[in-house]
Amino acid sequence: MLSFRFDLFKFSVDGMKKKLFQGFLAFLFLILLFSSGCAHRPESSSSGYMSGSSLSQNEAVISDDEDDLNDDFGLLEDEFEEEADQISDPLYYWNKVMFHINDKLYYWAMKPISKGYKAATPTFFRRGIKNFFRNLTTPLRFVNCVLQGKGNAAEREFARFLVNSSIGVLGIGDPASKYPKLKAPDSESFGQTFATYGIGEGFYIVWPVLGPSTLRNSVGMIGDKLLSPVSYVDPTEASAGITALDMVNSVSFKIGDYESLKKASIDPYTAFRNIYLQNFRKKVEK
Amino acid sequence: MKKTFLIIFCFLFMCNTLLADDKNDAKMMIKSKIDSAISVLQNEDLKKEESNEKIIGIVSPVFNFGLIAKLSMGKTNWQKLSSDNKKRFVDLFENRMKSSYLEKLNMYTNESINYGEPIQEGRKVQVPTELISKDNKINMIYKLYKSKGLWKIYDLEVEGVSVVKTYKTQFDEVLKKGTVENLMKELEKPESE
Repeated sequence: MLSFRFDLFKFSVDGMKKKLFQGFLAFLFLILLFSSGCAHRPESSSSGYMSGSSLSQNEAVISDDEDDLNDDFGLLEDEFEEEADQISDPLYYWNKVMFHINDKLYYWAMKPISKGYKAATPTFFRRGIKNFFRNLTTPLRFVNCVLQGKGNAAEREFARFLVNSSIGVLGIGDPASKYPKLKAPDSESFGQTFATYGIGEGFYIVWPVLGPSTLRNSVGMIGDKLLSPVSYVDPTEASAGITALDMVNSVSFKIGDYESLKKASIDPYTAFRNIYLQNFRKKVEK
Repeated sequence: MKKTFLIIFCFLFMCNTLLADDKNDAKMMIKSKIDSAISVLQNEDLKKEESNEKIIGIVSPVFNFGLIAKLSMGKTNWQKLSSDNKKRFVDLFENRMKSSYLEKLNMYTNESINYGEPIQEGRKVQVPTELISKDNKINMIYKLYKSKGLWKIYDLEVEGVSVVKTYKTQFDEVLKKGTVENLMKELEKPESE
């Protein structure tokens, strides 16, 4: 390629050669400038900012403000302008009541129980229970990985199940995580699978105890239950007890999370609706 | 002639590394700020208020609170505010952001922090981090942009949830039902669980 170019240049007159080459250089330089130049644009526009700083304090603040409005604000706000974060909420009044009931359930029952449980049990015990339940729901994640065409994740789930059920003693230990190749894949559910198939969310719905969901994900939850072995434990009381243990145990690992989110919010109902949606949509993207 | 080509290639190569350094600059800046914040947290001689004040002093310069406030308000709502209210809103919002960020750091820094590969998109860079506590771990992505030659944080993403987006839907909701004064009152209320 190089020698071919040299030949081309040999044909032209000396002066032309130089000019051509300079042109080529300028062209290259321009391309580079444009491809990397975006990062340097603010420098060139900083002159307005500088002149602003020579004004009185108050005026400087305002001109800085305007500067931001035209510059950074304008550029960055596109990222947040989309209406996509909205969802229809026809059950608003029901949902709001449920939200408050769940809130009270958390503060009056879930939190004190989990706190007591956490104080009474050593961390390795709680971690063992957590691993056990995660291992138990492998079929659910495996099936959904397959349905979404995530071959590698499905293989990993399967291998992890074999290793942790045997060497990990019924999934209480998690020896598989020692191997980077067997790192736990992200959690999967039917709601996520439906989403990748292009099924819309429907509307927002808050269930008692189970919390925020959407119409689509609620249907998904039925599938999730069907693939969870705990649902098949015979006396229903025993099944419910095991589910309760799972819940208390997993809450014991994140006491304080709900409180901190609620504290930071201004309109808690709207905040948690948005947090649920953003979090779920991010999971679908992965 | 060969020399010139060599120069061009060197130049191209340099540009490449310069670009790569750009996003790593952002990552290193975030890392150094968090590392020094954590060393303050781990200093047991300090009282809670003292260490909080120190941490805010360390991290504040990299946050563009004014911009985060404006982005959370959204262009349409922002332009409706009087300039007095703009200032009041930014101040109130800044306090709220600071205390919730401090709380996250306090909750999740007793074990370790992992820093992921930064992702660059024009003037914007995302620096993924993973805060690991004894009980749990959370993903936190710092979103930065370059302005006047400096990297500044314009949004935080915690477990896939953008802080700006969450506030934006709340501000929209409050302003849809009430007035700007209502919103200010809500922001002025002490935070309650």
